[in-house]
Formats: sequence, C-alpha cells, structure tokens
Amino acid sequence: MQSIGAFARSTWLQYVALFQWATPLGYFAYKVVLPVTQIVFFVQLGVFATGPRNALYFALGNSLQLTANGGIFGVIATVSNERQYGTLPLLLGSPANRFVTFMSRSFVNVIDGMVSVVFGLIVTAILYGIDLKSANVPVLGLCILIISMTTAGLGLLFGSLGLVMRDSIIIANVVYYGLLIVCGINFPVSRLPGVLQAVSYGLPLTRGVQAARAAVAGSDIGHVAGLLAGELLIGALYAGLGYALFRLLEGWARRGGLQEAY
Amino acid sequence: MRSLVRAAWRAFLTSMRLRVVNPWAYLNWLVFPLIFAAVGLFVLTSTGYTRVAYGVLGGGIIGFWGIAYLDGGNSIQDERWQGTLEQIFAVPTPLFVIVIGKILGSLLMGLLSFIPTVALAYFGFHAALPGIDPLRFAISLAVLTFSFFVISVALTPLFAVWRTAFTVLNGLELGVYGLCGFMFPITQLPGWLQPVSYVLSPTWATRALYAAASPTRGSDVTTDWLIALGLSLAYLVASIFLYRFVEIRARVTGELALA
Repeated sequence: MQSIGAFARSTWLQYVALFQWATPLGYFAYKVVLPVTQIVFFVQLGVFATGPRNALYFALGNSLQLTANGGIFGVIATVSNERQYGTLPLLLGSPANRFVTFMSRSFVNVIDGMVSVVFGLIVTAILYGIDLKSANVPVLGLCILIISMTTAGLGLLFGSLGLVMRDSIIIANVVYYGLLIVCGINFPVSRLPGVLQAVSYGLPLTRGVQAARAAVAGSDIGHVAGLLAGELLIGALYAGLGYALFRLLEGWARRGGLQEAY
Repeated sequence: MRSLVRAAWRAFLTSMRLRVVNPWAYLNWLVFPLIFAAVGLFVLTSTGYTRVAYGVLGGGIIGFWGIAYLDGGNSIQDERWQGTLEQIFAVPTPLFVIVIGKILGSLLMGLLSFIPTVALAYFGFHAALPGIDPLRFAISLAVLTFSFFVISVALTPLFAVWRTAFTVLNGLELGVYGLCGFMFPITQLPGWLQPVSYVLSPTWATRALYAAASPTRGSDVTTDWLIALGLSLAYLVASIFLYRFVEIRARVTGELALA
C-alpha cells in the first residue's frame, strides 16, 4: 500500500512539476489554446483544399493526434526537464526501482492524453457541428485509450534520450509534428511514398487512427480488433525498447557525467 | 549614434554565433518549415495544383515567423537562463538597441526557411510558382519582413518580464498561422474571427505575397503593402510605451534573474 502511495505521489509530482505548463496560464495555453488552434488550423486547411464535406476527417485526425501532446511532449519533458532543473543526478543516484520510475513517467500522461482527445472532440462538435450519433462510442473510447498508451510508449523511448542529450525536447517537437505527416492524420497513409508508408506502419497512431475513423463510421469491435491489436503491439514494443534504452543510457550518463550537463 | 549601431551589430553577431551552434535554430528554420510544408503540400495537392502556392510558400512563412518572433523573444529568455539579463538592463545601451540586433539575426536566419520548403515543393511535389511577379514578390517579402521585425521588436520585452511568455505564445502559434493566413486565405476563417486577422500586419503582407505569386494579376497589392506598413508603424508606437513599462517594471520588481 505504501509503495502504491509513493507511485501515485511520484506520478502526480512528475506531471505538475516537470511540465512547462505547470502554471495555470501555461496549462491553459498548452492544453486548451494549442489543441483548439491545431484543430481549427488543420480543419480550415483541409476545408480550403478539399471542401467542407471533409471537415470530420481533419477534425478527427487532429483530435486523436492530441494524445501525442501528453504522450510525446509530456513524457519526454519529464526526463529532459529533470536535467534542466538540476534534479537528474538525484534521480539517477536514488535507489528507486528503475522500472517503476520509468513507467511512472507516462502514467498521468496517458490519462492526460485521453482527456485531450475528448476535449478535442467536444471542440470539434461545437465549432464544426460534427455529429457522432452514428459512431460506436465504446469502441471509439477504446481506441482513444489505446492510442494514448501507445503514443506514451513512443514518448518513453525518446524520453530516455534525455539522459544523455541536453536538448531532447527538440526530439519531442520533431516527433510530435512529424506524426502529422506519417500517421494518416490529415491525409491517407496511401498518399505517402512507399518508404514513408513503411515508417508509418512502424509507428503508433497510424492503426489507432484508422480504427477510430472506423469506429466513428459505426464499426464494431470485430472490425477494428486487428488494427487495435497491432497498435497495442507497436506501443508495447516502443515502451520495451524505451526501458532497455533507459537502463543503457543511465549507465552511460553516469560514466560520462552527462547528467550534469544542461 | 555610432555606439548604438555598434551595440546592435555586436548583439546581432553574438546572437548569430549562438544560433549556429544551437539545435533549436536548425529545428526552426529547417525542420518545422519542412514538416508544415509537407503537410500543406500533401493536403493542398490532393485535389489538384490550383492552391499549391500556399503549400510552396506556407511552410517557409511559418518557419520565418517562428524564428523572427519566438526565437527572437526566446533569446531574451536565454539571457535569463545564462544569468546575463540583469546586465543587459543595467548597461547604458537602451534595451531596444540590443533587441534590434538580436531580431535582425532572427530575420536573417528566418529567411533561410524558404530554401528547404521551396526545394521540397519542387523536388518532392514538382510544384513551383510559375505566375510569380519578381518585383511585387520582392517588395511583398520586404514588407512581410518589416512586419515580422516590428512585431518581434515590440513583443520581445515581454519575454524579459513575463517568465511564461514563451509557453503562452508558443501555445498560440498555430492560431497565428491561421489568423494571418500563412497557409490558407483568411476568408476560410469563421466571420467573427476575421476582424482579428485584419488588425494583424502579417495578414496583409502575406496576402500581398500570395497575390504576387499568383498567375492572376487582378488584386491590388499596393493597398495590402500600405495597410501592413501602417499597422506596423502603429505597433512601433505602442512598443515605445511597452519598453518604458518593461524597463520600469524590471527595476521595481527585481525579478529579472528569477528563472
């Protein structure tokens, strides 16, 4: 019970202390203004290019991509900001269980990612009058949960780089916005060149977004189970690779004194 | 006067040297513009090439803006982190002179953003700007550069007294792209939002830039230039009061060194 309490405290403190949006104004900017403006910008771009009938395609894709706000930015920031605030040497010097420490970086961000998507969908419904009545809401909810976990898995992999890199938050920016190109957020994956399509299916979000689009069209769990299983597998693979990298780079950072650099 | 020019020049040189070794600078002028240009080009070419100019130039404008405005302001935040912000306020050189030097560096770096995006459009999508009017385009780009310069100079002092300025303004980034029509015309925006666009000088400069890159020569870009310049001058006047406010507030609160 005591360790569960410690886990809960540490996940919460990591969330509120290691984000740059810890202040109410910063939180509002990142968690309200950024999602709304991202959705509006890409929906308007899409409507300009393809007409108003496709607004749902762009709105849904960008709402789902918001999971990466917590899953990628949030998770990577929890490591890179340890360095920025000078607490990384303390973390690496502590006897804490490394697996729990590692996984706790993503816990609140998964919840945060789900909240972001729900918020995005509400914004979409209000601004564009998009109707989700025919959607299979439980399956859509499952898609959102799985996408939040898998993007956090990718975040854990790149977050580990923060142990040895001074500017790993740059990686977060590249990955977050790069997902807009390769994951079928604003246009189908089939429009990408062959190499990028392979990259696309090697990343989280791609299958999850396809499954969510199907759920919005009313598909049941049987139709999207394969996509969601693939999405979960990819996410688990990235999280596993991330943990291995975390352990590897922890030793590297300690040997080279890299945790002190900022 | 010579000493002020020398101080601005030194600020320019130092900021450029720091940018050359700063990965953020490369992210802003190379990676971000490419990502936005790629998304824009994929979306805008999905129904033909009639709107392709917004993809060819849009990523570059976004990169240019990001560097001019956020990187310029962030250079003040960096001074805070490096412990030199208090000295900048204490020296006899006025703050705006140092800021101008930094922003000129940002603008120079920002102009590089057009190179990767135009190259991506040409080599990746076989898209170009066949209808470009070189003179009108050059003047429009100069007007756009001036409007970015003035906004950056006007807003940068906020980064000195407002520690969360970067976080908040970064959150507004995509909103600015839409409001200023960087990748689609502002007529696409809801009617109630368009008046906000009209009071932003980059809106008019961007409109002129796209008109100069359009095969149809119908639109009157001179009006767009004049409105962009007029709004920029209004911002400049307002910034005089902002600089005074910031210089006083920095001394009253004594919080410049707080990270």
